Amino acid sequence: MTTATSPTYYVRRFSEYMSELWRRKDFVWFLARGNIKARNASTVLGLAWWVLNPLLLGMVYFFIFGLIFPTQRDIAYLLSGIFVFHFSAQSMSGGANSIIGNSKLLVNIRFPRLILPIAFLLESTFGFLASLVVLYLIVIPFADVVPGPEIVLLLVALPLQIVFNLGLAAATARLAVPFRDITNFIPYLTRVWLYMSPIIWPLAMLEGVSETAQSLFRLNPMFPIIAVYRSALLGYPLAQADLVAMAAWCVAVGILGVSMFIKYEGKMVRYL
Amino acid sequence: MSQPSVKVENVWVRFRPYIDRRPTLRRSLATFRHKETQLVEALKGVSFDVQKGEAFGVVGQNGAGKSTLLRVMARTLRPDEGRVVVRGRMSTLLQLGVGFNAQLSGSRNIYLGGLVAGLTKEQVDERYDEIVEYSELGEAIYRPMKTYSSGMFSRLAFAVAMHLDPEILLLDEVLAVGDEGFKQKSKATMHELLGRSGSIVYVSHAVKQLADFCDRAMWLKDGEVVAIGEAGAVVDEYRAFVQHRRKELRAQGLA
Repeated sequence: MTTATSPTYYVRRFSEYMSELWRRKDFVWFLARGNIKARNASTVLGLAWWVLNPLLLGMVYFFIFGLIFPTQRDIAYLLSGIFVFHFSAQSMSGGANSIIGNSKLLVNIRFPRLILPIAFLLESTFGFLASLVVLYLIVIPFADVVPGPEIVLLLVALPLQIVFNLGLAAATARLAVPFRDITNFIPYLTRVWLYMSPIIWPLAMLEGVSETAQSLFRLNPMFPIIAVYRSALLGYPLAQADLVAMAAWCVAVGILGVSMFIKYEGKMVRYL
Repeated sequence: MSQPSVKVENVWVRFRPYIDRRPTLRRSLATFRHKETQLVEALKGVSFDVQKGEAFGVVGQNGAGKSTLLRVMARTLRPDEGRVVVRGRMSTLLQLGVGFNAQLSGSRNIYLGGLVAGLTKEQVDERYDEIVEYSELGEAIYRPMKTYSSGMFSRLAFAVAMHLDPEILLLDEVLAVGDEGFKQKSKATMHELLGRSGSIVYVSHAVKQLADFCDRAMWLKDGEVVAIGEAGAVVDEYRAFVQHRRKELRAQGLA
C-alpha cells in the first residue's frame, strides 16, 4: 500500500517485476512447449503444420497479389513482408487470448501475468523461424536469392521485433480484458495495417504520391521493420535511418505496452 | 503469542453491477456519463485470523462471498479496502485441474502444475517420484490427462499441491478426493501439515465433514461475518439457520 508515485518507484517496481519474471523462466518455457505439444498432438499432421502454415499463407497471398491482381510479382519481396508482418499481427490476438483463454488459471493462482503473453510469444517465435526456412525454400529456387552475410542482421532485428510484439501483445491484452469488443475489431485493424504496409505493393508505388502522404505512410512501424528484415534476409541495401527507426519503435512500443499491462494486472481478475 | 499465518483485515470487495455482463466500451461510456455507481458488495468488511497449526473452515450459502474471499486470500483479487497479510508459502486448490493441460500427460502436468505454483524445474525434479507415487496413478501417469477419470484427475492435483511444501493451504470443496482409501490418505497428509504448524483454510458445503476436520469456523452471509468460533458450534448455528430458512420458504410456498 505504498503511496509513492515518483518515477524511481515505478522503475523499482518494473525491475522487481522483471526479476520475478526471470525467476519464473522455466514456467514460461514449459507453458510454451506444452502448448506446442498439445497442438501437435491434437492435429493429424502435427509438426508438419510448422511448415504448412507459412507455406499456405504465402501461397494465398502470392496467388492473389502475384497472379490474380498482380500488384506484386516479386515473390521474395512479398513473402518476406508477409511473414514478418504476420509475426507481429498475430501477437495482438494471441496476446489477448493468452489472458482471456486462461481465466481459470488467473483467478486461482498468483503469478506475474506477463508470463502468459510471453509464453505465447515464444511459441510464435518458433513459428516465425519456421516461416523463414519456408521463405528460403521458395526463394532460393524460384527467385534466385541466396542468404548472404547480411543475415547476421537477424541477431538485431529478431530481438527488436520480439520486444515490439511483446508490447503489442501486452497492450492488446490490457485493453481487451475489460473491453472484449476489441477482439472483434482486431482482424479489421490487422487488414488495414497490412494494406498500409509495403508488402502487397512495391515501394516504388510510393513515389507517385505527395511528400506529405509519403511521410504519413512512413509513420507505420512496419515500414522500417520490414525494410531491415529485407536487408537481412534478401540482401537489400540497408538504410541506417530504418535501423534507427525500427529500434526506436520497438523499444517504445515494448515499454509502453508492458507498463500498461503491469499497471493493470491487479484489476484483471475482476473482468475474467 | 505467535503471529497468525493469515490475517484478513476489514476487507471490502465491490463489483460493478451486472457482474455477468462484461463491461463493453458502450456500457462503460454510459456509466461514465451517468455516473452510475451502483455496486455489488461481495465482501463487507470481513476480518479474521488464521493461526498456525489450525484448520479454519468457512461456511455460507451460495453467493455469501466464499469464493471471493478465497481469491482475496490467494491474492489474485485485490480488495477495494482492507488488507490481507500472508506469512508463509501458500498453496491453493480452488478449482481442480487449474494449471493443467488435459492434452498433455500426467507426467508433464506435474511439471506444469509445480511451475505454475512457483517451483523451479529442479525443485519439481526432486519431488517428481514422490508425487507419482502419492497419486497412485502408476502407468497412467504417461497418458494424456483427458483420459483420466475425475477421481484420477483430483488425485494428481492434490498430490502436486501437497508436494509444494505449503505452509498454508487453501482448499475449496476438494476434501472428497478419490475413493475411500485416498480420502483417508489425503486427510492424514493434511493433519501432518497441521502438525508441523501449517494452516488450512477449507471452504465447503459439506458442513458435517467440515465440523469434524476444522478447529475453528466462520459463517459468512451476504459478505458479512455472522459468527466465528469453535467449528462445531458455528456449523450448528449455521445449520439451524438453513433449516429455519427452508421451513420459512416452504411456509411461504404453501401460503
